[in-house]
Amino acid sequence: MQKYVTLLKLSWQNGLVYRTSVIMWRVRQFLGTLMALTVWLVIFQGNPTAFQYTKDSMITYIFLVSFLQSLIISTALNGLADRVYSGEISNHLLKPLNLFGYFAIEEIADKAKNIFFLILETIILFLIFKPMIVFPTTGVFLLFFVWSCFGVIINFFITLLFGAFGFWSPDTWGPRFLFFMILNFTAGKLFPLDILPTALQKVLYATPFPYLSFVQIQLFLGRLNLEEIVSHFLLMLFWIGLLGSFVTWLWKKGLKNYESTGR
Amino acid sequence: MVQRLKTYFTIWSIFGKNALQETFVNRGSNALFMLGKIIRLAMSLLFLFLIRQNVQTFADYTSDQLVVFFLTYQIIDLVAQVVYRGVYVFGNMVRSGEFDFLLVKPINPLFRALTGKPDINDFLFLFPNLAIAGYLLSLLDLHITVWSSVWFIILLVNAFLVVTALHILVLVTGILTTEVDGVIWIYRDLSYMGRFPISIYMEPLRFALFFLVPIGIMITIPTEVFLGLQPSYSLFWVFFVGIGSLFFSLKAWNWALKKYTSTGS
Repeated sequence: MQKYVTLLKLSWQNGLVYRTSVIMWRVRQFLGTLMALTVWLVIFQGNPTAFQYTKDSMITYIFLVSFLQSLIISTALNGLADRVYSGEISNHLLKPLNLFGYFAIEEIADKAKNIFFLILETIILFLIFKPMIVFPTTGVFLLFFVWSCFGVIINFFITLLFGAFGFWSPDTWGPRFLFFMILNFTAGKLFPLDILPTALQKVLYATPFPYLSFVQIQLFLGRLNLEEIVSHFLLMLFWIGLLGSFVTWLWKKGLKNYESTGR
Repeated sequence: MVQRLKTYFTIWSIFGKNALQETFVNRGSNALFMLGKIIRLAMSLLFLFLIRQNVQTFADYTSDQLVVFFLTYQIIDLVAQVVYRGVYVFGNMVRSGEFDFLLVKPINPLFRALTGKPDINDFLFLFPNLAIAGYLLSLLDLHITVWSSVWFIILLVNAFLVVTALHILVLVTGILTTEVDGVIWIYRDLSYMGRFPISIYMEPLRFALFFLVPIGIMITIPTEVFLGLQPSYSLFWVFFVGIGSLFFSLKAWNWALKKYTSTGS
């Protein structure tokens, strides 16, 4: 366990080596939230409700998306496929550490760093917009926390899935870019998914994407009934099981194929 | 002068052909890139049309006018990507010392750094975008005159001066710090804010987006003039910023070149 704690400390320090890059990355996230807040506040000018959201619930939505973006969607493993293809993971394979555990620790350090900055950004946005945030009951809040952790796990497995492409091909940015584009709207970053046409919503719910932010926020805002809460809970467990099994199988297959070319 | 322009056009054609060959080498990845861009465009338009259905006015603009702001952003952004994609790899050129080789060649290194890697995907994507823009404009309830269209084109040329200046300033940052990625992506995010009229943002951000990083001069004002609306700032300031920013960026480039230490090589 101690070696993982040390690895966590090292990953945290690694993440802060290029401070300018970190600050620029956070500025970009801040600008995205600022734009979304401004656009929605303008939409609500003179309209008490829009798209079946009140102004306060939509502002809460934007703050939560910003939080979950940093917690769930952002990842330190974007370049994992390149690390695999270039043979860099050979270094990790030689260490007395579980490979997925190693990646998970890198992710935790990255998310901790993001949340640290996010707190500062949220304070600034609060001071600018002075929003009225809608808070749920303690029970729902705890469930929101659990579901957010589920979202982190689902995204972790999806990231490993894209990383595994590096075992077979150097062209890994195409699929990754497409995933980002789909994720950009399916996680509900720009707008809530329930403003979309019903047919499109049904298609999206057949994928794990809504579980990477949108469903968690719906829970927080009290927009899910008991039946929906239970079904989403079970579906999240299903996606974790399915993606986890598939990724484990794929990485085993990939590692058998792995030749550490170039090392 | 004409001969010089011909030479540069020939060189740029060679860059284009090389980029095209690269695109065909990675056909699968590029097809996925294109699909991603189509999805992003479709979703953005869907969001705008949902706003159009549900909200009558957006700040002082009609929801139809809002769509035109997005279309202007889309065209300017795409043209910038097609021509100036080379900026994205400039940081690596400085770090590796490859920039030294550009300095000793008998063409302007700024030209090479800016335009050395045309984006073929965006070039191909530009034509369906123009077709979609034309189609949508025919559907929307707008009052566009011949004169407003002529002024729009003149202001788009001015916008391109601003785009060029901003990309040169990114290169300057690259020479001084070797860091380009973060700066260019902040520029992209700021220009992304121009999908909506800059006048909706609060001060001092609004002022900054008109005069410090003049996204508003690039996108908002040409669109306002196109739609026959009173522009947020007088056209004198618009041209002043356009020409002034290019002049300033060229001065900054020449200054930065003298600071280049060739540490990568």
